[in-house]
Amino acid sequence: MIEFYRVTKEYHGRRVLRDVSFQVRKGEFLFLTGPSGAGKTTLLKLIYRAERPTDGQLIVNGMNVSAMRLSRVPSLRRSMGVVFQDYKLLPSRTVLENVTYVLKYLGEAPSERRRRAYQVLRMLELHHRMSAYPEELSGGEQQRVALARALVNDPSLLIADEPTGNLDHRLALEVMKLFADVNVRGTTVLVATHDQDLIRRAGRRCLTLERGQLLEGLSEGSA
Amino acid sequence: MRAGVALATLLDEAVSGLVRARRMTVISVLVIAVSLLLVGTFLLAAENLRGLSETVRGETAVTVFLRPGATDADRAEISRIARDSRLAARVTHVTPDEARARFSAWFRSLAAAAASLPTNPFPESLEIVLAPDAAASAALPGLLANLAGHRAAEEVQFDVEWVRRLRGAVGVARAAGGALAVVLVLGAAFTIANVVRLTILLHREEIDILRLVGAPEFLIRGPFVVGGLLQGLLGGLIALGLLGGAYRALLFWGGRAPENLVALLGIRFLPPVSAALLVGGGVAAGLLGGLIAVRRRNVG
Repeated sequence: MIEFYRVTKEYHGRRVLRDVSFQVRKGEFLFLTGPSGAGKTTLLKLIYRAERPTDGQLIVNGMNVSAMRLSRVPSLRRSMGVVFQDYKLLPSRTVLENVTYVLKYLGEAPSERRRRAYQVLRMLELHHRMSAYPEELSGGEQQRVALARALVNDPSLLIADEPTGNLDHRLALEVMKLFADVNVRGTTVLVATHDQDLIRRAGRRCLTLERGQLLEGLSEGSA
Repeated sequence: MRAGVALATLLDEAVSGLVRARRMTVISVLVIAVSLLLVGTFLLAAENLRGLSETVRGETAVTVFLRPGATDADRAEISRIARDSRLAARVTHVTPDEARARFSAWFRSLAAAAASLPTNPFPESLEIVLAPDAAASAALPGLLANLAGHRAAEEVQFDVEWVRRLRGAVGVARAAGGALAVVLVLGAAFTIANVVRLTILLHREEIDILRLVGAPEFLIRGPFVVGGLLQGLLGGLIALGLLGGAYRALLFWGGRAPENLVALLGIRFLPPVSAALLVGGGVAAGLLGGLIAVRRRNVG
């Protein structure tokens, strides 16, 4: 599903990722952890092609992302759901519109869009705020809307960058349970977090990044 | 995505975008409408001047007012002089009663006064309708002199200078109207381009997010182009509506005037082709403005 071969990323001569190699199998659930500035977000950005590797090769869903033409990037991104660290919600659109927009350009009928959005928003306890705008929501609520948007099109790959950062402990556990449920249905899940307690509780494989280098590639946790 | 669904999504996004930025949309549409209203006013003026010019060209006539007591032989001789000149298309005899009836139709408020006169003051006349382009012929002054010299002719009426001036005015109006139309349509396109570009700048962050969640490029740029086109279409329709309203008001007030100015001057509205051109100008300006605004350096 995801294959990194000696991937390096530099910004203006500064190496953010060095010779990173790992593989993620289809249907796997894994964590990516490390201190702030370790390169977690950059690594995720490479997967959804917001950045290009300076060196090395990167394969996602069978597509060579490092050599991908710009015109093919939207279809790559549509094949996955991404929860961004800063949520990236559309400020001029309601919660419902933010969630259904993804389905709109996938060609779903309006009634189907609404039905699926309602389901996922209900699951995230946000169905009563469908008409609200992002600025009217708390940080936790915004994070859940971002999560709903990532899940609504039932993606084959789900990437989440600090998805529980603004949530209380109970909701954070709920979200992790949600990820586990999604994973059981066959979606590959990659979660970047520095919450070690969450990683321990989940007992999944974990990759650790430090100063751009992968320290642990295959540490299997207890299930 | 199927073409129908894609088109519906594009339109939906474009309309939602216009509604979200409703203040700017209203300003933009009004600017376009005013620009096109000016173009339409010139088109309307040019159309009516052209109609008037056609009428004058087709119906340019020399009127020979006859002295009382003119005989059939006099009328026949004057008609022969006109026909022999090869400048006349036809000669019509207008009796005093016909002349009075015409006057009453043109000046309705004076019709009763004209009818109440004990004798008919309108003289008998011969109307010599000139052949096309005869008004500009060098032989015309000679014909006018021959007609004026006839013993039965009291007065010969023909103002060739007025006809020439009218044609000149029509030419100038049409050229000025054409130039103004080009300038105003380009101005409207420029306005739309700037409004759309401003909208893009305001939605810069949103555009980046749409790209990150995998929106196809045509659904990112397309709504701005379609939005420009819709603004142009709306502006064109409003301009046409305002022009139509002004024309109907003119018909109403002109028709109520004692002398039916509208009927007298033969004022008419834009023909369908010109009306479609006006709205089409708005659409073209909108499309051009939208396309200019979504160039890569603006949208990224």
